[in-house]
Formats: sequence, C-alpha cells, structure tokens
Amino acid sequence: MKNIVSLLFVYFSFLLGFHAQDLSGSIVDADNGEPLAGVNIVVEDQNEGSVSDLNGKFNIENFESGSTLVFSYVGYKTLRLKISSENFLDFKNINVSLENDLSELDEIVVIGYGSQKLSDISGAVSTVNNDAIESVTPVRVEDALQGQASGVNIISSGSPGSKPTVLIRGITSYAGNDPLVVIDGVSASIDDLNSVNPNDIKSVNILKDAALASIYGVKGGSGVIVITTKTGKRNSKTSFNISTSTGFQEVVKKIDVLNAAEYVAILNEASVNSGQGIVFPDISGYGLGTNWQDEILNDAPIVNHSVSASGGSENTSYYVSASYTGQEGVIGDGDKSFFNRTSFTTNIDTDLNEKTKLIVNTNYSNIKGKSLPENGITSVLSNALNFDPTVNPYKESESLLGSDGATLFQEHSSQNGSFGTSETITQEIINPLAQIYNTYNQNKVNKFTGKIELQYDLIEDLKVTSRFGYTYVDIYDKSFVPLQFYGIGHNQTNSEPDLSPIVSIDSEGNSTSTHNRVTEGHTNYFTYTYEFYGNYDFSINDLHNFQTVAGFSIGESKGGNISATNEDVPFNSWAYADVSAATGNALQQTSGSWQYVNRNLSYFSRLLYDYDEKYYASLTARIDGSTSFGSNNKFGFFPSASFGWVVSKEEFFENIPIDFLKLRASYGSLGNDNISPQFALISTFPSYVLNGNIISGSSLGSIPNDDVSWENQVQTNIGIDTRFFGNKLSLTLDYFQKTVDDLLFSPNLSLYLGTPSFPTTNIGSTKSSGIDANISFNTNIAALTIASNLNFTTASNEVVSINNGDKYIWGAGYGIPYRPIVRFEEGFSPGYFYGYVTDGLFQNQSEIENHASQSLNGTFPGDIRFVDLNNDGMINDSDRTKIGDPFPDFTIGWNLNLDYKSFDLSVFTYASVGNDIYRAYERNLSYTNRFASVLERWTGAGTSFEEPRVTFIDSNNNNRASDRYIEDGSYLRIKNIQLGYSLSDSFVEKLGFSQIRAYMQVKNALTLTEYSGYDPEISVGGVLNTGIDYGTYPQPRIWSLGMNFKF
Amino acid sequence: MNNFKNIFVYSLLILSLNNCTDHVDYEAIENYAITAEVYFQQESDYEAALVGTYDPLQWMFFNIQIGAIASDLSLCGGESASDYLGLQEINSMTHYPENDVLSNVWRWLYEGVNRANYMEENKSNIQFDGKESMYGEVYFLRAYYYFQLIKFFGDVPLFTDVRLTAGDSGSLSRSAASLVYEQIELDLQNAISVLPASQSEQGRVNKFTAYALLGKVLLYQEKFAESAQAFDQVIGVYSLVSDYGSQFLRFGENGPESIFEIQYTNQSNWYDWNCIQCSEGNYGIIMNGPRGWSGPEYAQGWSFNVPTEEFFNSFAEGDTRRDATILDIQSFADQTGSSYTEGYDHTGYFNNKYIPRAGESGGQIELNYLTNYRIIRYADVLLMAAEALNRGQIDDATALQYLNQVRARAFGSSDNNLNVSGSALTDAIWLERKYELALEGHRFFDLVRTGQASSTIAGFISGKHEVFPIPQQEIDISGLEQNPSY
Repeated sequence: MKNIVSLLFVYFSFLLGFHAQDLSGSIVDADNGEPLAGVNIVVEDQNEGSVSDLNGKFNIENFESGSTLVFSYVGYKTLRLKISSENFLDFKNINVSLENDLSELDEIVVIGYGSQKLSDISGAVSTVNNDAIESVTPVRVEDALQGQASGVNIISSGSPGSKPTVLIRGITSYAGNDPLVVIDGVSASIDDLNSVNPNDIKSVNILKDAALASIYGVKGGSGVIVITTKTGKRNSKTSFNISTSTGFQEVVKKIDVLNAAEYVAILNEASVNSGQGIVFPDISGYGLGTNWQDEILNDAPIVNHSVSASGGSENTSYYVSASYTGQEGVIGDGDKSFFNRTSFTTNIDTDLNEKTKLIVNTNYSNIKGKSLPENGITSVLSNALNFDPTVNPYKESESLLGSDGATLFQEHSSQNGSFGTSETITQEIINPLAQIYNTYNQNKVNKFTGKIELQYDLIEDLKVTSRFGYTYVDIYDKSFVPLQFYGIGHNQTNSEPDLSPIVSIDSEGNSTSTHNRVTEGHTNYFTYTYEFYGNYDFSINDLHNFQTVAGFSIGESKGGNISATNEDVPFNSWAYADVSAATGNALQQTSGSWQYVNRNLSYFSRLLYDYDEKYYASLTARIDGSTSFGSNNKFGFFPSASFGWVVSKEEFFENIPIDFLKLRASYGSLGNDNISPQFALISTFPSYVLNGNIISGSSLGSIPNDDVSWENQVQTNIGIDTRFFGNKLSLTLDYFQKTVDDLLFSPNLSLYLGTPSFPTTNIGSTKSSGIDANISFNTNIAALTIASNLNFTTASNEVVSINNGDKYIWGAGYGIPYRPIVRFEEGFSPGYFYGYVTDGLFQNQSEIENHASQSLNGTFPGDIRFVDLNNDGMINDSDRTKIGDPFPDFTIGWNLNLDYKSFDLSVFTYASVGNDIYRAYERNLSYTNRFASVLERWTGAGTSFEEPRVTFIDSNNNNRASDRYIEDGSYLRIKNIQLGYSLSDSFVEKLGFSQIRAYMQVKNALTLTEYSGYDPEISVGGVLNTGIDYGTYPQPRIWSLGMNFKF
Repeated sequence: MNNFKNIFVYSLLILSLNNCTDHVDYEAIENYAITAEVYFQQESDYEAALVGTYDPLQWMFFNIQIGAIASDLSLCGGESASDYLGLQEINSMTHYPENDVLSNVWRWLYEGVNRANYMEENKSNIQFDGKESMYGEVYFLRAYYYFQLIKFFGDVPLFTDVRLTAGDSGSLSRSAASLVYEQIELDLQNAISVLPASQSEQGRVNKFTAYALLGKVLLYQEKFAESAQAFDQVIGVYSLVSDYGSQFLRFGENGPESIFEIQYTNQSNWYDWNCIQCSEGNYGIIMNGPRGWSGPEYAQGWSFNVPTEEFFNSFAEGDTRRDATILDIQSFADQTGSSYTEGYDHTGYFNNKYIPRAGESGGQIELNYLTNYRIIRYADVLLMAAEALNRGQIDDATALQYLNQVRARAFGSSDNNLNVSGSALTDAIWLERKYELALEGHRFFDLVRTGQASSTIAGFISGKHEVFPIPQQEIDISGLEQNPSY
C-alpha cells in the first residue's frame, strides 16, 4: 500500500486586523501550480461560502478570525483550514493548494484469496460501490448492478423477488451461464442473492477475464461476482445508520384489447368468415364491457427498513444490521403475491492475539412469498388479455351495469363461485379474478450463511488463512388446489357451480368424484467450503513487488426434498389446507423425495508481480476436481497469465497531457461444471397394469459417460485504462474474445435407441467477443458537483458447432398447440427465434394460386402469405429460418449524480438496443378476446396488408410461429431518479445526529420503446427462454419516499 | 512453542493435500440409485424388467388414432386446423418426414424393442423357475413392437441381442421387411412353445395371444395356409359376446372375446404433461371426447377422431354396431338436455368405442382414463381366419361360417347372414371388417394391405402412402434411407 503523504504549501504573512473582516486568496493544484476554478469554499458551521473563479481567486466577506474554512473539489482531497491572525498575517492573500485525491484509484478490489489496488490490476474488472447500490434501494442486489458495470447484462422481471438473468460477457454455454457469486470469500450462487440485504454490501467487484476469474477455475467460466459486506472500523465509536423508505408500485402501460362492443362485432365477422352464422344476433348494449387488466392490476406497496450499527475497539470491530423488505405484486391483491425478507447480519473480527485474527460473519434471512401463475398461457395476465370482455367480473354485479354499459361492481361479494363465467370459452382461459381467488400457495425460506475465518501471521509477510464458509437453506412450501368453478364444461372446472365436487356415475352405477388437493414440501440445502491458503507478500529493493497465494479448497453441496400430497381438504378452505387435515384415503395420498450431493476439491495459486508499479504481471492456476466429472476425467487444470504496463510512468510520457495510461492484456482458461454424475441407471419408474393393479417395473433409464468433463473456455482480454484533465475524465476499455470447447450437451442420438436419457457429452463449441467500456467524468461547476458515469456493453455470440446429430437444440416454445420457437444452433447466435417469414396478405384468389401451397386445409384472401424459402412450392417446416434475436446488440448505462449544497440528485438511465421480443400471449380460441390491432384487419382486397382476416377456422394456420409476432424490443428507460435533501449539519447535531437525509425516488420513471406489450425487459429464466413475452410480469413504476439517519 | 505451532500447521496442510482426492469420487448409491451393474441378480429384477417391457404398450395411443384418422372413416378434428398438426396432416395424406407424432410412434416402439432386448441380453445371468415362460412374453412383445414398426414404416432397423447404447447411434441401416417378418415369426414361435395356455393375471399374454398375432402377421404376408393354421389354434378358445357394444364399456374389458388388450387404469395420481405416455391411464381417450360436454354419461374432451357422416349413414339397417361405434352427439344432447361446443371439422359424430366416459378417470383427468385398447378381438380373429381360408382357397364354407358368426352377433339374428364365395366372399369379409372393427385402429392398415387404399382414401398416392415416412430426425442422425416419394 502506498500512502501519498499530504503535501500542503501554505504561504502566509502577518497582518493584524479586526475580528470580522474580508478575506481573499487563490487556490492552485498542488502538483502543477495551475489555478483551480470552481472550488467550493464554506465557512464551517455557518451557511456562508464562496466559489473560486477562473483564476482560482476567491473572496469571503465578514470573516470571523478563528473560523475554519472547508475547501472541497471533486478529485481533490477536502482541506479544512483554521484561519486566525496567529497563523495568517495577510487575510487578503491566502494561498491554498489542493492535492489530488487518488483514493478512487486506490480503490481496493477483492479478487479472490486476496485483494489488489484497482490501479494495479492487469485483468478486467468492474466495480460497483455501495453508494451506487444505495441510490437504487434495490430488492435484490442485481437490480442495482444493471447498467452500472460494463460487461454485465442483467435482464429482470417485475415479479416480486424473482431471480434475473445475469450474463457476464455474453453467452458461451448451453448448460448454464450464471456467474459464480463469492460473498466475503464464500462461494455462493445468483440464487443466494435473494437473501442478501443490499444495504449490507460495501462493494461488488465483477471479475470478467481469465486472469482474474481463473483463481476460481471451473466455476469461473461465466464470470465471478465478488461481494464484500460491511465491517466496522477499529477504534471508532459506534455509529448507527437507519434507512427507511416506503412507496407504491403501479403498472404504467396496458395492452389495447377489444372492448365488449368491438368484441361481439369482430366475433360475428369471424364466425361468418368461417361459414357459420352470426353468434351475437343483437350487438347493441354491450358498451365497453370489462377490461380485465383494470380488474387485476393494482397499485401495490413496497417498503424497505434497515438499521445497522458498526464500530470497534482496539482489538475488535463489528457490524450488525437488521433489515426488512416487503414488496407486494401489482397483479392481484397483496395477499396472493408478495416477497418479504427479514435479514440479520453480524460481522465481527477480533484479534485473538498478536498474530491471530478471527473473523466471524453470520447472516440469517427469512423469506416469505406467495405467487400467482405467470409466464404462460395459464398466467393471470394471459387470462386478463384473453378472457371475454362481455362477462362481468362478478355474478352479483350484473345488476350494477351502468347506463353507459360500464360495469359497476364495487359492491361485489368475492365469494368463490360468484365470479363471472364464460359460456363460450371452455378451455384454459378463465376469469382472472376467479383464478387469483383460487390460487393458494406459500413459500417460506430460512437461510443461514456465513463463515468462520482464522488468519495467522506465520512469519513476517506470510499470513495463512483457514476459512470455513457455509450456507444452510430450509424451504417449506405448500400449495392448495381448491374445488373451483369456471363455467359448466370448462376444462379448468372441477366442481359444480356451488363448489361441491362433481360426482360422476359410470355405466355400472359406481360413482367417482372430483377432489381438492393440498401439497406440502420440505427442501433443504447445505453447502460448505473449507479453504486453507497462505499469502506471502514481499518486495525486493522496493522495486520488485510480489504478492503470492497458494492453497486448497474442499467443499460439498447437498440437498434433499420430501413432499406429500393429499386430497379432500375440509371445507375446501385454505385455512384447513394441510396434509394432516386432509381426509383423502390411502390411494389419494402420494409422496416423493429426491436428493443430490456434489463435492469438489481444488488447489490454487497465484503470483502477482510488479516492477516499481510500472510493469505488472500475474500468473494464476487452479486445479479442480469434482464429483460431477466422469471417472476418466476427475481433475481439470485452469491456468492464466496477464501483463500490465503503466505507460504514463515512463519518462517519455512526461510531456503528454494524459494523467494516466495503462495497457493490459490477459490470456487463460476457465471452465463450467454444470453437469451431474452419469451412470447406467435402472429406472424403476416404468409400470404397467396387470389384473387392474399398477405393477412397478423397470428399464434402463440412462446411459453412462465416464469421459464427461468440464466445458473448457479460453479467454483473451486486451484493455486500456486512462485518465485525462486532472483525473476528471477516466476511460476504461476492454476487448475480449472467448472460445468454449467441449460444450456440454445431451446429444440427439438415433431415435431407434428408444427413450432413455442419453448422457451429457462434450460435443459443442461457441465463441463470443465484445467490448466493455466505461467513461467517468467528475467535476465541479461553482457549488455544483457533477459525477457521471457511462458504460457500454456489447457481445456477439456464435454457436460454432454442436455435434449432437441435429446441429441444433430446441429451447422454449409457447402456446396451445405448443410451438417451439427458440433454437441453439450451429452457425447462429445462441437462443435465437426460429419461424416462418411473412410477406403480407393475399389480397385475392389469384395471388393464392400464384404462390406456393400453404395449407392443406385451404387458404383464402386475407390470409397471411408465408415466404417459400426453399422454393419447393410448399410452405412447410423447411421454410423456417432465423426471425429474431432476443439479446441486445449493446446496452448502455448512464449514471448522473449532482450535488448542490444540501441537495443531491441521482439519475440512472439504461438502454438496451437490438433485442427482439416474441409476442406469445395470444390464446387464439374462437371466443377469446383479440388485440385492438384486429380493428385494422383485412376485410376485402386492399383493406389491409398486415392484419389478416378474422375467422374461427384458421385453416391457413395464420397463427404459426412467424415473424408476425416479432417486435423490436429496444428501449431506453430512466430506471431511477432519486432526489435527496440533507438537513444542515448544525441543526442535525443539535438533534444528536450526524446526518439526516430525506429523499424522493422514482424507479422505472419513463420507458421509451416501440414494443406493444407491458415491458420490453423480459426474463423468464435462462438463455433458451429469453425475450418471449408470455404476458411477462411488468416492472412497475415505483414511487417512494425515504429517510436516512446516521448518529 | 512457536516452532511447535508452525510444525502443527504445516503438517495439517500436507495431510490435507494428500488425503482427499477420493473426496471427488462418486457412486450412484449415494443417491440411492440402482445401476445396471447390480441389476438382474434376482428373480424379482426379471419380473420388473418384464413389466417394463409391457409398459410401452400403453404408449400406442397414436398408433390406434392414426389407424382410424388416416382411413376413410373419420377426420382428425381437434380444436383447430393446427391442433396436433401431425395428425391433421395424416388425416389429409399431406404428411411428410417432419411429423412429431410419427417420431413418437417410431421412438416409442423402439423403446419397446430395446427393453425386450435388454432382457435378452441378461437372460443367462441366473436361473429360476418360470423363466422360460417369462421370456415367452418378452418375445411376444418384441414381435408386437416390430410388427407395428413394419406396418407403419416398412423396412426398419432390426436388432435383437442387446439393448443399444450411445455408441450404436447412427450405426444401423434398414433391414428388409421380409427379414423383420422372419424375426417376428421366430419370436412368436418361440413364445408359443413356452407360453402357458392361460395366465393368472389379466393383461399378460398367453399361448393363444401369440397364435392370434402369428396368424395376423402371416396374413399380412399373404401366407394364407400357415395363417389359417395359426388361427385354427385360437378358434373356439374364445367366444363372441352377445351384446356387441358391451365389450367396449368398462365392465366389458378383458371379456371372453378379448384376446389381446392393452391395460390401463385410473388409479394413479401421478402425472406429467411433459410425459403423456408415462401415465397409467389412456391418453387417447380424452382426445376423442366431445368438447365442453356438459351432460350425463360422457365427459368432455378434445373432439379428435370424429367419424364422418357418410360412414355413419352407411351402416345397414339393424346393425347394432352403428350406435356402439358412433355417438350422434346432437341427438344424444337433445335427448338428455346436454350441451357441448363444436371443434374443428365438426361432423356431429364421435368415436363411441374410445371416448371419455363420466367417472372413468382420476387424478389428472385428461391423462388417466382407464379404457383399455382392444388390440385383438375374437371377431377380428374370425374375420382374419375367414380371409385366410378364403383367399388361400382352402375352405370357403368355413370362411363363410366365420363371417356369418360375426354378422349374426351384429344384427342380433341370422337374418342378415350372407351366402357368397370366392372373390365375392373376400369382398364381403373386407367390408365386414370395416364395420366390425371400425375406429379400433385397423382400418388404414387393412386398406393398405388389401390394395384398396388409393381408391378409398382421399389424397392417398399409391407407391407412397402405403407406409409413413421415416422421421426426418432419424434420417438426419442415422442416415437411414427415406421411404419412396417422401
């Protein structure tokens, strides 16, 4: 660590004077003597001040001798100067020089088994500090990383507490792209971030390239997110920090669907077009009907409270905190959809003796949640969009129809069974209010994570660390499927209208009946990692500096689940919904269980070297063994190297007006072990019926692969760090290239091998390349402090080969009937959309006759023309191609922080450009609702060239997966605006606080997009299910007010 | 003291480094999983594997549906023109190699073959009583799966010794149907020689089941004399039930007319929509139900496999088989005050033999209908025997007598008995099969077998549609040769 000794040159001369007098002087840069303009000068404890002019001159009137002046300026150390006649003779000629504040550049980055100054790193890293996190007040910490760190792409959904898709530097794998998460040295996963209180986090460092991530070897292939939590300071008084905020969430956008009057008219036309009669003979009096979106979308509260205390004595420091986060869903009422987290953190370190330090970190979290069906044709939003607008929400409200046809249903009774039902929709699509009412589930998570660490100074400069990290998770969940009624003959109905079971009598007079059902499950996970390593840091001649580390890591991760189901819950009631209360007989009860275990053993070492902080080099290697690998391939080796050169320290650079310039390069290998052990397993699942009884049988369920191993990634990184204009402007630019071989796939083998699961094999490769860039700018204009940061992330990915037989693998699909839409295919970008290409509409019969044959069941004018890509005169599966890519071409995050006197403002804007969305929330039954776009439908030659005719019989299969459903999902979103006001120090001190700040915040304030759906940011889970809008849970706009207290 | 501590720490480090490479070894038993290495060591393992070999019989619902939908008797139906596109295409004879339904048919049949072969592979591990007879069942099942494969696809890859593994992918080519037939005959002869005349459990095949299938296999090859001999073993062992329709109801299952029946139950609560064939219920049943049905006796379904009006009207007066075979939904709804909604290709008629009936499912309703598939009925055997005797010019009188047995039962009297011979008798037998076995999955294959398909089925192209295309995926991966004209 190099401390820059404070250098302050003060020139002064004696001058006796009055107690209150005018004061003036000038301010210069301590390094080069240049005048500094815009320095903020405040007389301490008085609300007076001034700002230096272009020549660095300043002037303060009525200065009281003996007061203290505070000089502050971005990028420079704040200077406090007591001015009295004893030390200043000439109050008219106070010359001050301010010294560069390089603390930001000295920022410590935790790099795994050690730490380094940011300016010393020759790999690629992004850092996000706690200020940036706190200004977002996120529910999950990932929310605060979006757009804050270059090279990181985060796609989240609005569902409370849900896990986002996190991609570091593109998509390289089919099996999994979640980065490794390391919390205070303990390995964890993105899933574990649901229990981390963002207020506990001191900094997040993202290790992006091989040089940095290869210390984590086989787990580092998708990047590493290193989280450091807060600790106390030695020899400091206890300081308390209380933050509280409360707000509400609203859905800003609604999708334009047909109202009741439009619906009946369109349905009549569709029926006639399909050769059937009019279905609504009298179309008057329908009015607007029910807008189901209005019925289910509500404003919902969100609260965050946290309190922490930290401090330390000579030998011990501590940080303890407690927090509560409560977020209700904007869909349905808060009692059906929410995420509540309570967490407690205790971080203590203490010196057991001169040489031994003990660190104990403990976190307990309790998470409770309930959720409604989302992301699919049976989701609440899908029902709201597709359900019949002529149906009233509640049966009782029929008499409450307003004169304008608008429904007034405030006086409803929300008894089950009293919900409005459709007589014409008998499949899947149901009254979403009834669905919400009938959805019962809960999820409770108790989680302990932490570590016990001993650090021992073996000899001078050699420290050994012994660390035991653990995570224990206990999850209890319960769900209840009541007897429910959605209309007679509806396939989701399982009760009579009065909610009694449906009793069926068969031909012999035997009766059977429907049942309600309750399921409870218990899952637990326990993961531990024990690590032992030594750090030996030394210098030779104060020029050759070495930091070395070597050690090993041993760990195990295991989990298990047990679940039970029973039927006949008393009173058909959630209150009695428990397996113990249900009265089903032995045949109605079922149970299940599963378990897994995974162990690993690793050895690692790293050498960091620099020559006079001018030339840098690193060598890192890790050997990883895992139970996941085949018996012929137990250990993998992951080496890396990097070089750095601080060009600006060279003599020839002296006269170049660049403050700092560093070139970096790294090369190395990483892995991905997203596999499970593979054996020839006998499956006891097959069964057959003999004598009317189910008899268990067996078959060979899976085929082994003893050679299976990790995915092997080689990554090259070239980077540059530079700063200009007195360090006000800094730029970091990185270019990376990754190639992944031995990609893990389940191969598509000959179908004549039957149905066992085939072993995962290393049979593919991908490559990715991209640029991460970050520009920061900090300055003062008068009393205004500006800090701004712009980052840019782009990655292009290609699947180079998949030797699975087909050269492709299907990803997600949608709809009924099911249509696959996503592919992971050789020669294409991963997870792209695959389907037919449309070419307008057939305007007349001759156009149909002149085109390739499209449909076996008949094509009519007004139907969609699909492009015959292979020119074989037939439109069939072979005419499908790439029709979109769900991943953005690039993303940009822009942070702007302004401070002016007592006010502070932070604005964060995020843009995603080039991501396509596939619209998949239309059910397309005859009587389901349609989107307002059908009002522009084709009704005769020349009436429309885009929107096909309406019909009940889609004989042309207009609804096939095609580019008709692709939309450009590019968007620019003001993600966060926070405006704060800090009460004046003197007032605050009188109240006994050190800081009181109030703020107002708007999240997702504004979204600019062409996309027609709720939200262009769509995350369901994983690379092969991104960008498909199943009626995605929109990210609400959140208005909140908050207070911070420190004392 | 400090030295001691240092030594302690160093030795701890070294010990740890040396001691734990076995930490990353893993055995399947840690997760209570049974591996192939420890299997086939006791009799119960063999019994379980046999049950596992029966299991793919339950996956034959598409086979049965296609036998009807591909024929002239019924349309595909469903929710819309794109509902089960694979079946819609087969209905209109526009199917091509990328057909997910046919891929499933192919793969599921081969899973049956592989399970039988896996038993063959382990046949000599241990000895126990009854093993020979058990393998009679195995050979019967393998013969049945291969026979289905031939009927659907013509020449197919043939393998019998061991279960194939990953390394065998792409290594096989198609064997001539005649060779596959030889293997089927061999398997059935082996089965006949060891199977008992009756089994204690309903659902297990016996000696006569094997004879019946052998006769059918021989008839398909037009080996009439051998076929007639095989059927002769079965004649008289079973009998026709007096009420034609009763055998298709729940309590008519496994009755005196039933020779081979695929068993299902509604007793399982287990379900997984991603594995419809894994259920213990019959998925083919929900497919055929009236849409949105609200009324007695039946339960709602997805309106597939709807008989045509032409077929309904073509039944002779007095033929009790019409109403047992076809449900006239409108007249039944009027009669009972019930309601339903119309699906695609609505004809007003439903497949009354395999239809969701009230109270016959459980758990996840769609996947758990208990209705068994009647694969070989005695009436079928009588008609096949008659055909063999007639076309082999062996004994027209007996053939006519078999035919009239079937007709007499259908009309409830001998008034409609025929008296024909020669090719007129052949035509009469073929026509009788149409009415007797309608919608049970035989019709398409009968039409192909007897050369009537191109004149009967709209869109049927001779020289192409006799067999279905080999799934495109199999062509791509295994490099198999495609059937002509696909």
